[in-house]
Amino acid sequence: MSSSPLAKQVTGSKAIPTRKVVINDACELPNYYSATPGGTLYSTTPGGTRIVYEPSFIMNLRNSPLSKTPPTYEIPSSLLRGSTPEKKTKSPSKRHYNKNHIDSTKRDTKQIEDEDQFSLDL
Amino acid sequence: MIERKHKRLKYHHDENSDNESGDDELGPNITDLGPVDYPSGEHRLQHPYCLWFAKRPNRSHVGTEGYGQSLRLVGQVGTVEQWWALYSHIVRLQDIAPHRDVHLFKKGIMPMWEDPANKKGGKWVMRLRKDHGSRAWENLCLAMLGEQFMAGNEICGVVVSTRYQECLLNIWNRTASDIATTARIRDALKRLLNMPANVTLEYKVHSDCLKASKTVIPYNTLKS
Repeated sequence: MSSSPLAKQVTGSKAIPTRKVVINDACELPNYYSATPGGTLYSTTPGGTRIVYEPSFIMNLRNSPLSKTPPTYEIPSSLLRGSTPEKKTKSPSKRHYNKNHIDSTKRDTKQIEDEDQFSLDL
Repeated sequence: MIERKHKRLKYHHDENSDNESGDDELGPNITDLGPVDYPSGEHRLQHPYCLWFAKRPNRSHVGTEGYGQSLRLVGQVGTVEQWWALYSHIVRLQDIAPHRDVHLFKKGIMPMWEDPANKKGGKWVMRLRKDHGSRAWENLCLAMLGEQFMAGNEICGVVVSTRYQECLLNIWNRTASDIATTARIRDALKRLLNMPANVTLEYKVHSDCLKASKTVIPYNTLKS
């Protein structure tokens, strides 16, 4: 009857992790019998499985080092987070810079266009 | 992996340098950033997506041509990590000026009515107070990226349009006439964005949008 604390620790039961999806209406059920509510397909037929991620799962990856690395392509400076209109005109990308040297009149019109297109309310 | 990244960067630049006019190297001419990268160890998405920005054209050049001209491809994502890398480096929604559109669309579908995938499509429209917008927009994007709508291949993309005090969230699907699917998308939207069940959302058929005036049922009670 009375087991030692150690035995209890070893044999103690743990709940199987489950997730409850509340269905309020029949239309929230998946289209396919092979899918569980919430969207995951159990079938593994080629082309039959969707890559499904819960929003909370995606959220958890937000702070991974890869997620913090800037993309390999160039984001227009006017759309970079934390950029201000002043910064934008002062520090264009290198390529931008070279082009500006080739034709300064073009640069002026270009910058005006840029600001007009995506000016920020900061 | 580094080498691959470098190659992709080069591809992007090569494409840019085709634009000899020097008009705008990141302008509307670019509609493809090259093949999507799937580095091992990253969480691949069901579909790759492209992020676009656009400024609403003035009334003087209304018409789809003016709209297409203002579209700007900003980035593309094939994995969850790439999504965050892009999302956390672009300007926040609350810092975007009014009358701008941000589109997150499946790669290969232009965020325009004229695209073959959108021609017969439509969209659900939600109007939100600006302070609720960022959160709702993020939730909407995550839901689409994670395939939470259970609508097969019907989803084309999502859009947020900024206004002065509010913003409009849209989700576009392929077949406006498929009532069962559009209803499914609507119900998923309500669930995923925590909307009260009794809220009314408006569905707009793209082909009607060209002619119809815009009347949207206000929806300001999103729980944050």
